[in-house]
Amino acid sequence: MTTTAIGTHLLTHRYGSHAALSDLTLDIREGEIFGLLGHNGAGKTTTVSVLTTLLRPSEGTATVAGYDVKREPRKVRAAIGYLPENVTFYNDLTTAENLSFFAELSGLRKPGARISEVLEFVGFTGHDRERVGTFSKGMRQRVGLAQALLHRPEVLFLDEPTSGLDPEGVRALRELIVRINDEWGTTIFMNTHLLSEVTKTCTSIGILRSGRLVHHGSLADTVGAFPTDDALERAYFASAESDAA
Amino acid sequence: MSELMTLARKELLDVRRDRVVWIVMAALGIAIVLSVVVASLDFRAQMADYNAYVAQVKASGSGVTPQAPQLFPLQLLRGGMEYVEVLGALFAVVLGYGSVAKERARGTVDLLLTRARSGMSILGGKLLGLGIVWAVVSLALVVVSLASVAVIGAAHIGLHEVARMLLAGAAAWVYVMFWTAIALALTTVTKHSTPALFGLLVAWLVVVLIIPQIGDTMDPDNQVPGGLFNALAIAKPDEQAVLAHFTSFESGRNALEVSSVSKLYERVTFALLGIKNTYTGQSLAFVWDGTFRNIYGAVGATLAAFALAIGAGRRVHTLRRSA
Repeated sequence: MTTTAIGTHLLTHRYGSHAALSDLTLDIREGEIFGLLGHNGAGKTTTVSVLTTLLRPSEGTATVAGYDVKREPRKVRAAIGYLPENVTFYNDLTTAENLSFFAELSGLRKPGARISEVLEFVGFTGHDRERVGTFSKGMRQRVGLAQALLHRPEVLFLDEPTSGLDPEGVRALRELIVRINDEWGTTIFMNTHLLSEVTKTCTSIGILRSGRLVHHGSLADTVGAFPTDDALERAYFASAESDAA
Repeated sequence: MSELMTLARKELLDVRRDRVVWIVMAALGIAIVLSVVVASLDFRAQMADYNAYVAQVKASGSGVTPQAPQLFPLQLLRGGMEYVEVLGALFAVVLGYGSVAKERARGTVDLLLTRARSGMSILGGKLLGLGIVWAVVSLALVVVSLASVAVIGAAHIGLHEVARMLLAGAAAWVYVMFWTAIALALTTVTKHSTPALFGLLVAWLVVVLIIPQIGDTMDPDNQVPGGLFNALAIAKPDEQAVLAHFTSFESGRNALEVSSVSKLYERVTFALLGIKNTYTGQSLAFVWDGTFRNIYGAVGATLAAFALAIGAGRRVHTLRRSA
């Protein structure tokens, strides 16, 4: 019997009078890899921002790793790892200096050994003394994933993690995501607009359209409803059409 | 505290790797050295004039020898302290602004906010880090100033001068930290960095240049180069008797001047180093009696700026790219 890793109830966030996210109710269990699909501007990043305590919800409730995002934001932050879309670091600092900084902010004392461990895990050893400003997008993404894993988070949030990566980079990152979930049991919440990413990595999905959740279920159930090669694509557009109707 | 130290250490590392910061600080040091060179040359010219005059007096057979110009070593730093007042404030604005604006441009705030306790601790860490940077720079400027006076000015530097210079260094730290904190606060609370920089430069112009200039222009003694009363050979008691008729005007002028933190800093430093005639050769107790209100004012303004900067941490979300 698994427990809820991320739970939301009628979660709403407004920018002024515009509701970017409306009445989101979700239940993501521990150990799942959840993919949140949606078109550009659907509210995916807003959802992640609220769940990572970057934005305060306008209405509704949300818990992450058992902590309320409104009332216990510091406990939420201690329990999560976060890889933003287009992750950026302090370019004049080396990989080790950047990671050491974020590790110490997470309360890790003498994080050297842990930094080596995560760099090895993400396949980025040998670059720890190089300045991050010299890295390609794919390399920065690996450093980003390393920083998100430093403090052994219970829940990992990835915002469009494969955006801007070449096909090899996409495959390598996808494999890493699955390994993190397999080996460390980390619950993963991933935003994407790439259906293929979800098919290859996620165990459950949600489809967001204009700030509203129009579908939520296991990947197997979703794909099962459309037993063709392009099952998820059909499911996605079917959700969109039913929402429009 | 450890979170603040972590944030401060990152700030120090960032500044240490920034070549522009090194160039700017070196420029400040060079400006001080050059000002001592100019002041020393000026003093040597005065001595040469004096010696020539004495030679003429002796040649004329007169037994009266006028008093030689006195060298109070720290007075050679007048120009250097003015550079700190004007350029130091400008560099402090640039450093504080850059610290926040770079965070906004790089988009690193999201990562910070999912780790740090609060936006206030992020700003507190920046303030602490930049405070350490300025403490090191202030100390370096004290060393450069004393070395310049000793080597270029060929003046004797004793414990007395070192103590006064250290106090002037502390005053410089309080002053530049005021500007650093104001820059941190304003850049954080504005949605975009460019208007913040514009606002800061306007504030610098008004507080550092315009207000002190108006105050100086309104000073009756400044109407003639070298001093009106001095030019008219009016004795000090008579000068004070004349000025007693202008107390309201003088109060207004003083109120205008003390509204500028730059003027407060200038008054304290000029008194400490004996640059202002009233304080030349006087004890520190005398300096304290004459300037403690200015010291309270400068320290109070800087503490208020610290509070503003840390309070601006509540608005740190404005630094997010999506904000």
